[in-house]
Amino acid sequence: MDAVIKTTDLHKSFGHVKALDGLDLEVREGEIHGFLGPNGAGKSTTLRILLGLARASSGSASLLGRDPWTDAVELHRRIASVPGDVSIWPNLSGGEAIDLVSRLRGGSDDAAYRERKRHLCELFDFDPTKKGRAYSKGNRQKVALIAALVTPAEVYLLDEPTSGLDPLMESVFTREIRRLARENGVTVLLSSHILSEVEQLADRVSIIRSGRIVDGGTLDSLRHLTRTEISFWQDSVDPTSLNALSQVHDLTVAEGRIKFSADSDRVHEVLPLLGSLGVKGLLVTPPSLEELFLRHYGDHVTPAAPEPADDGAPHRRRHRSAARTGA
Amino acid sequence: MSTLWILYRQRLRRDRLQLAVWVLSIGVLGLFSVSAIAKTFGDEASRAQVLQLATATPAILVLRGLARGPALDSFTFFEIYAFLALLAGLMNTFMAVRHTRAEEESGRAELVAATGAGRWSPLAATVLHGLVADALVSVAVALGFIAGGLDPAGSFVAGLATGAAGFAFLGVGLLAGQFFSTSRAANGIAAALVMLAYLLRGYGDATGTVSADGMTVTAAWPSWLSPTGWGQQTFAYTGNRLWPLLLPVGLAAACIGVVVLIMARRDVGASVLAGRAGRPDARASLRGTFALAFRLQQGTIVGWCLGGLATGLITGSLGSAIQSTLSSNASITDALRAMVEAQGTSMTQLLVAALFEIAGVLAAACGVQAVLRMRQEEAAGTAEFVLSEPVGRARWLGSFVGLGAISVVLVMGFTALGAWVSLVASGDTSTAVGDVWQTALAQLPAALIYLALPAAVFVVWPRATIPAGWALLGLGVVLGIYGGMLGFDEKIRDISPFTHTPVVTSTGTDWSGGFWMLAVAAVLALVSLALMRRREIGTA
Ligand SMILES: Nc1ncnc2c1ncn2[C@@H]1O[C@H](COP(=O)(O)OP(=O)(O)OP(=O)(O)O)[C@@H](O)[C@H]1O
Ligand SMILES: [Mg+2]
Repeated sequence: MDAVIKTTDLHKSFGHVKALDGLDLEVREGEIHGFLGPNGAGKSTTLRILLGLARASSGSASLLGRDPWTDAVELHRRIASVPGDVSIWPNLSGGEAIDLVSRLRGGSDDAAYRERKRHLCELFDFDPTKKGRAYSKGNRQKVALIAALVTPAEVYLLDEPTSGLDPLMESVFTREIRRLARENGVTVLLSSHILSEVEQLADRVSIIRSGRIVDGGTLDSLRHLTRTEISFWQDSVDPTSLNALSQVHDLTVAEGRIKFSADSDRVHEVLPLLGSLGVKGLLVTPPSLEELFLRHYGDHVTPAAPEPADDGAPHRRRHRSAARTGA
Repeated sequence: MSTLWILYRQRLRRDRLQLAVWVLSIGVLGLFSVSAIAKTFGDEASRAQVLQLATATPAILVLRGLARGPALDSFTFFEIYAFLALLAGLMNTFMAVRHTRAEEESGRAELVAATGAGRWSPLAATVLHGLVADALVSVAVALGFIAGGLDPAGSFVAGLATGAAGFAFLGVGLLAGQFFSTSRAANGIAAALVMLAYLLRGYGDATGTVSADGMTVTAAWPSWLSPTGWGQQTFAYTGNRLWPLLLPVGLAAACIGVVVLIMARRDVGASVLAGRAGRPDARASLRGTFALAFRLQQGTIVGWCLGGLATGLITGSLGSAIQSTLSSNASITDALRAMVEAQGTSMTQLLVAALFEIAGVLAAACGVQAVLRMRQEEAAGTAEFVLSEPVGRARWLGSFVGLGAISVVLVMGFTALGAWVSLVASGDTSTAVGDVWQTALAQLPAALIYLALPAAVFVVWPRATIPAGWALLGLGVVLGIYGGMLGFDEKIRDISPFTHTPVVTSTGTDWSGGFWMLAVAAVLALVSLALMRRREIGTA
């Protein structure tokens, strides 16, 4: 069996709102799959359907070859999950909540379990003796994370698992997931807005927008679709010859620098010309997924007029990608 | 001043529908009771007869009030005031907690405290909100009685007595909100105190001194411990005294004063009775959904069981108190006693039946709360946490409903225990002592309906669970327990499960109503379990 998670033409509506609109998602065995999309795209809805908490309006979903709605209880024995909106019982301590969840999964209270729990609490710098109502948002998130990680599972469905965590804890989480993937060969579906997290972990990603997968594949294949940004000092270089090349896009002159972007897999074709022009202060910025991400997020962004003076790098990138999408 | 006004307006806006329902229901209940009394006991002679029976039967006094003569207006005040004050009290405690502790619990209070509003304006706005609401209640009661044709001046006194008792409980609710860190605990304790006030007054009235003609009662001291009792002391229509109302207003002021002292010393979100630090590991017993349901409900169950025990103890000690009053009293009471006993019940049995009816409502409320907890779990998102584990939806529902059933049985069990212990201690040797267990058993079917019905609502229309749960119980109480007094038709009263509760008598008990209700409850529960398998879990 190759696909651990497979949805075909999945639809889900809440009244008039179409949360999912023909979602086709495939997650293969043993991979960490990033599930990226803007707010309200339908990530949580997809995960809730996969957990059997919500029922699809139409289309099919399968998890480990079974129907997540009808076989929920059996499937849950093999799944660990972190909900998108973690809430815990105000009058149970964090440690109690973790134990309760692990016992619901049929886990035993043996020494190995207690050792794993202690170890995770230490890794996440988590105090399990406080009552639920006394935890901060990040600490509530840790309860859900530790509960998901403390008992072994085959599939992990994680809905924005690091929301509310500080960067240090985020890296602890990333390390733990990597370890699970390496040592146990588990399958992970990880929804997120945070690109860096997905970029670090995921083998493949799917990008969801308005309830539909709009792009996907391995990180490398996605990078092929992106463009590399190249800039150099203007000095007395005449950029017209560059503009003639088909690989060159969006050539602008600002702040004394000439910049343009080039299809990432064709950058080498531009380099000889740059060499012959004798450019100075050459800067080649490799493509990041953020760029790709913004391209899909930015559909509603209207192309802005080119701004001559602009020094905020992220802003500049967004501006440019928006302009390109509009074109 | 302007922040106070803004906060007050926000409270009024948020409560406008609820407040309108409370105020109108209280006023309309007043009006209904006048017309029902005028219809059933039209002339003064029949009212005098009823009053004689009542003053000779303290069980009736517990559920009615302080007798002050057979005129239509004072008779109406006797019949309905304590119940109106009970409703006004509940309205106020819920209101107080909703705008203070519940806000702190949800974190919204922190937002408000961080603005220019500071920590005092929200409190002041809540007090103002309560004052206005109680003024509206006063006017509604007065207008209801006046519309029923009662004396206007006395009607306003009756209205003020209702509003003032309500205001006392606003203070009580605010104070409860300071002591507990959850709105649930604060609401539970405050509502229990309202019930306690009702029962204390009942105890004081039932053990009071009856005048020679059996037309008036002078309350014993327990009535003077209760805001409801203070309201009765206005002697609306017969005395029109306003000074006793200084007591409830003073109590409210004292409570608010203590609230201010506490708030000046604590952080937003903290409480006097702070939650203890938790355990790092769960006890071995915290395993499975039933254990979780029990853990979440244990405080509530203990509370309702104590309420049941108190009701039982009061019933038993009233029984013995009455026995001694009766033996020392005039000849008419002996005649009446003979009349009652000719129907196959003893005075004690009558009292047990009347007070266990109240305990039955407590048990039903405990059942309702088990279902409401399930809805709260769903709305908070913790249900999703549990149901993402290998736990069937039906099993989850079953755990809460099963726990509800057990808690209903526990509450009635403690009630019976309390009554049994105090009757035995008072040296009562009649069959009435053993009958308390049967009477307690007889209350179970109606209470179980109040477990199964909200569970069905929860499955079919989750969002309505909480309001529907309480509204159905309130409707059942009004129709079933007060329906006769309010003049509802028998067919309408029969909608309420409480009218079908078997009545235990020495000459034999008809249990068929109980079996029917058990069957209905079982069918509802099974249908809910079956439908739950197909229901989605959501937080909306
Ligand atoms: N119970 C519900 N009732 C009505 N609409 C809902 C419900 N749940 C989700 N929606 C709608 O479905 C859409 C998808 O929501 P979903 O929570 O799946 O998005 P998401 O991708 O997880 O977003 P986020 O990144 O903000 O968590 C949104 O438009 C949301 O408003
Ligand atoms: Mg989400």
